[in-house]
Amino acid sequence: MLVLAWRNIWRQRSRSLGAIMAVGFVVWLGLVYFGLVGAARDGSYVNLTENAGQLQVHTRDYRDARNIRDAVVRDAAALRPRIAATLPDVEVAAALDVPVLLAGADRSRGVLLMGVDQPQALRERFAAAYLAEGRLPAGDDLDGIALGGGLARTLQVQVGDTVYAYAPGTEGTGASAYTVVGVLKFPDPARDASTALLSLPAAQDLAAPGAVSRFELHIGQVRRAPDDAVLMQLRDRLQSALGGAVIVETWREAFPSLSRIEQVMRPVGLVFIGLFFVLAGLLVVNTIYLSVIERTREFGVVIALGARRGRVMRMVVAESLALCGTGAVLGLLLGVLSLARLSQGFTYPGLEKLTAQVGFPSVLYARIEPAEIVTVLGFALATGVLAALMPARSAGRLEPIDAMRFVA
Amino acid sequence: MDPLVTVRGLTKIYRVDGQQTPALRDVDLDITPGEFTAIAGPSGSGKSTLLHLIGGLDHPTAGEVWLQGQRIDRLDHNALAQLRLQNFGFVFQAYNLIPVFTALENAAFVLELRGLPRQQREARARRALADLGIGALAARRPNQLSGGEQQRVAVARALAAEPKLILADEPTANLDGVTGLALIDEMRRLNREQGTTFVIATHDPRLLERVRRTVYLEDGRIAGA
Repeated sequence: MLVLAWRNIWRQRSRSLGAIMAVGFVVWLGLVYFGLVGAARDGSYVNLTENAGQLQVHTRDYRDARNIRDAVVRDAAALRPRIAATLPDVEVAAALDVPVLLAGADRSRGVLLMGVDQPQALRERFAAAYLAEGRLPAGDDLDGIALGGGLARTLQVQVGDTVYAYAPGTEGTGASAYTVVGVLKFPDPARDASTALLSLPAAQDLAAPGAVSRFELHIGQVRRAPDDAVLMQLRDRLQSALGGAVIVETWREAFPSLSRIEQVMRPVGLVFIGLFFVLAGLLVVNTIYLSVIERTREFGVVIALGARRGRVMRMVVAESLALCGTGAVLGLLLGVLSLARLSQGFTYPGLEKLTAQVGFPSVLYARIEPAEIVTVLGFALATGVLAALMPARSAGRLEPIDAMRFVA
Repeated sequence: MDPLVTVRGLTKIYRVDGQQTPALRDVDLDITPGEFTAIAGPSGSGKSTLLHLIGGLDHPTAGEVWLQGQRIDRLDHNALAQLRLQNFGFVFQAYNLIPVFTALENAAFVLELRGLPRQQREARARRALADLGIGALAARRPNQLSGGEQQRVAVARALAAEPKLILADEPTANLDGVTGLALIDEMRRLNREQGTTFVIATHDPRLLERVRRTVYLEDGRIAGA
């Protein structure tokens, strides 16, 4: 039956080629779309986690805290070795966020000042990516501060100038003067206009001695999101080691909005791909239906010779599947070639600034899950079956004598 | 000998644009195994209609058709298809081969519908083609064959399935004199040597000279036998 189907689809070469190309194009489009969604997913992940880590340790109920005292992990110095002992292969950074009024000579701005203590490799990567001028404050530097370029312009300060931080109601000194030692440049304008970096000891002196807002755990794998199950396993292990005073969260839990975007992108993509398959399916319906009409006499003979309705219908469905299958294989080949190229890294020409602003790295890497390939091919298969239903029903209902007398 | 096919009171009336046109009227007929019978008559006399009703390709308006004791005129679409597949071979005036199949594949098609394994059906189809003298043309497609060769393939398709009855509708109508005669002789030989039962609708005098029995139809009635 498949041999017959395969030969029949080439009887009207140009019409069949049109349908095959349409299905192939949609399969290619589907694969590339999912590959680009994968790239965007990984890009967002990289952007988010390269600084904030894949796991974070906070004080419990930190989301409900109304002031800095309730939002920090006390006695961070004692907690850190326990984290390192539980997950020895993980790089651990610590950060303390302090809401402050930051003032230059003439201007001031409310910002979330961040005291950081990063492992050396992480610190070097951060500096290479964002440091535009000067240097980062050293790990034990109590006086130096680095500002985002936008913030420095707002405060009208530059490297070497002094800025003043006021953090009323905190447990530290509450106010301090710092020397601008570096200017950072972030693609995201909001981040550029609000970032102020200190060393962790300096921030603790200012607002919360011995405390941190969070520990950030970096487990590697910077180009693609790790398996959620692996992360959750690490999270649970750490949570049981650290006890109930703190809460361990995966990056998805710490930044739920990204997960929500990801959850939306997949169904939206499926709807679009589905619509494209409907359009391609209409072309397949047209091809198969015309083919059935043109071959009415032939179907009449086949029925006269003893083919049952089901057999005739299967012949039509087989032709539709041969068309869609050929298109799917073609689209799959082109899609795999395209994704192989895109998985080596790509940029959106002319849109690098825009992609950086929305939180993507400058270079993205396409990635597709096997389940997504199966989904796209499943769509092609379903198109083949659904497109054949009406023509197959018509062919199956033919009466042999009427059909053999039919003149197209 | 018990009849292979029994027809009683067979009537077929076509309704076209509200008008009733009788094609067959109250026909009685018995066909015994091994017959080589012609149904003759002028155009429009009901030859093809009778053949179609005997072969389960159409339903009668009234009357009965029996095949070896089984009444077949009331069977549904699928049951009739199964009946045709197992019992009848058809040869049509316009050959009606499947154009994308080779002669061998065409000859084997009914056996494929029966679900025979490829080797078996091809062996039987080759034998049928060889019996009709066109074994060397097995790999050719219909558009690479002459009219006579195509009709032989159609006969081979009917023959390969070893049916109880071969119904041929004007098999020589599209063939020249020599080719037509050769085909008639082949069918006679097969009837004689293999005992295949043939019922042939025709008004070809060359064919009528060579059959053992002729049933004459006129205005849908049997006018003589």
